[in-house]
Amino acid sequence: MARTERELEAVVLVRAIRLNAVVAGLVTGLMAGLALFIATNWLVLKGGSVVGPHLVLLNQFFIGYRMTFLGSLIGFAWAFAVGFVAGFAVVRIYNLLVDLRSPRRTGRA
Amino acid sequence: MTARVIVIGAGPAGLTAARELARQGLSPVVFERGSIVGGLARTETYRGFHFDMGGHRFFTKVEEVQKLWREVLGEEFLRRPRLSRIYYRGHFFKYPLKPLDALAGLGAREAAHVIGSYLWWQVFPHEREETFEEWVTNRFGRRLFEVFFKSYTEKVWGIPCSTLRAEWAAQRIKDLSLRSAIVGMFLKPQTTVKTLIEEFDYPRLGPGMMWRSVAEEIRKLDGSVRLDSEVIELRRSGRRVESVVVSTDGVEEVVAAAHVLSSMPVRALIERLSPPAPPPVVEAARRLAYRDFLTVCLIVDAPALFPDNWIYVHAPEVKVGRIQNFKNWSPDMVPDPGKTSLGLEYFCHEGDALWRMSDAELIRLGTEELERIGLIRGASVLDGCVFRVPKAYPVYDPEYRQSLATIRAFMDDLENLQTIGRNGLHRYDNQDHAMVTGLLAVRNLTHGEHHDLWEVNTDPEYHEAVGVEAPAAAALAAMEGRIAEIFPRIDGVALGASAGAVSGVLLALATLILVLKGGAVIGPHLGLLGQFFPGYDVTARGSLLGLVYGFAAGFVGGWGFAALRNITLLLSFAVLRRRAQLGLLKRLFEFI
Repeated sequence: MARTERELEAVVLVRAIRLNAVVAGLVTGLMAGLALFIATNWLVLKGGSVVGPHLVLLNQFFIGYRMTFLGSLIGFAWAFAVGFVAGFAVVRIYNLLVDLRSPRRTGRA
Repeated sequence: MTARVIVIGAGPAGLTAARELARQGLSPVVFERGSIVGGLARTETYRGFHFDMGGHRFFTKVEEVQKLWREVLGEEFLRRPRLSRIYYRGHFFKYPLKPLDALAGLGAREAAHVIGSYLWWQVFPHEREETFEEWVTNRFGRRLFEVFFKSYTEKVWGIPCSTLRAEWAAQRIKDLSLRSAIVGMFLKPQTTVKTLIEEFDYPRLGPGMMWRSVAEEIRKLDGSVRLDSEVIELRRSGRRVESVVVSTDGVEEVVAAAHVLSSMPVRALIERLSPPAPPPVVEAARRLAYRDFLTVCLIVDAPALFPDNWIYVHAPEVKVGRIQNFKNWSPDMVPDPGKTSLGLEYFCHEGDALWRMSDAELIRLGTEELERIGLIRGASVLDGCVFRVPKAYPVYDPEYRQSLATIRAFMDDLENLQTIGRNGLHRYDNQDHAMVTGLLAVRNLTHGEHHDLWEVNTDPEYHEAVGVEAPAAAALAAMEGRIAEIFPRIDGVALGASAGAVSGVLLALATLILVLKGGAVIGPHLGLLGQFFPGYDVTARGSLLGLVYGFAAGFVGGWGFAALRNITLLLSFAVLRRRAQLGLLKRLFEFI
């Protein structure tokens, strides 16, 4: 293979990407919030004698969450908050570790 | 006797250098062995028909060359549409190669063979790419190499593809390099490449028109262009060439040399030095090989024969390598609109059986082969002539690099002799690069610059020196950083550790919350995680184990995500690179 082609390969996947923590937090929060919102309303619409007996256990952590439409909104808020914190924290720690591991080769992408 | 700057050869390199010298008031004298100017880019004439020796599209990325062309010919340039095809097994394949057209033309069985062979060589390529055969096989597969590359390349070079160096192909596609193709996908549309494929500039009366005008300009500027004047000896004293001996119509003349720019074949140059170069240098020069060709020009009684500018003839059953349809290059190449002129190019070695055939025999051979291919069905050949072009191509055989190194080491020591052009440097360069060597040689001479002419077309700094457009220099220089930005990796360890830390903390917190809340049965559902995490339960101690297990599970998840994402990105880059590479290879014959 030509020398230039090898050189080209050498620069691919070399620079470690740095991520935006706020964006990651928002994305994770929205995904988690929407997932819980949809799952709750899905079960509410399906109905039955006991609606979502397992999912409702989340109210052990998410105060006010229950298997109603209003509960789905509260669940959205909780899941968004937890998701945001988790996503934000993962990326902040990731960026910190990337800086520690390769401080000169990184660049924000 | 006043010493002058002597330019040997009135080809693109020599005339470009002489023009530049003349414009600076140095009154150069150009000695040309032949009776017309243009060298390998000359245009021969016969009964009012013009014949381009090889077919020269005027395309360059070198701004100074483009400017020179425009200054010299201006409105005499035509923008011509381009069509060329490959003839093989009685079928005309589109060129640049189109996969579906190629496979349809080959038939289902051969197509399957080609595809199978391609896949095989993608999985099991040659580990080392030293020859052209290995280079192409690794990229196209063995079968496609045999079908589309082997016969034509061997016709052109006269040596097996297994002995032709891979670097020849790598160098020839450098202008449209893989780097440029990939960068072009991100930085700018590939308008330049597209233009080269679909249309090109061409002087109304062929490239000779350009060089006749340049020679005229040199003469007007007090320079001199002497035709039928062969430099037969270069007399040197120490590290300088003091004079040259010129033979004009058998009469020899000694001309004092202030400086010599030589575009004559480097082998001939070494042989003509007096006193002779050291024996190892002479021996190295003798080892340099050349490929020659002859053009059988036919005048056909038909207003139009086929739409192509030229056709590559891969079919091994005929000897012709390429057929030029000069009327499609420029209508003015033909004096009578009712006639068509064709140039059948036969690649050969000076002195071999083909070279020694009489003109009448060659015209007969050309006519027969055209009929066999089916290009002049229903039309008759009215007249014809033959032009022989010796030393048209420097051959990159296994020994050439070592021979050239020996010669360079000797030549670099001669302080007032520079070699320029395709044959002067034994490099398979195009017209524009030959011109660049002439321009840079003049700068070395008049401005005391130190351009290494042997490296022109391989080092971007020379392109910058004469103003190559941005994609070739600036963009390519910035490209590595750009590619690195476009294809960054996710640090798997960092993502694993961060995801692990967060999931560990979340699990520990969830456990502790339930423990603190208390109750008859604490966390019966979260406790089910104990099915996967041995020892874990919803207790204070369990929260510590949950921290560890959560970290481990999060690490595996984060690291796995990063690995999958990086592999996907690498694959997408590989696909992109392959696409760019195939795009270049489809046009490989542009460079042969």
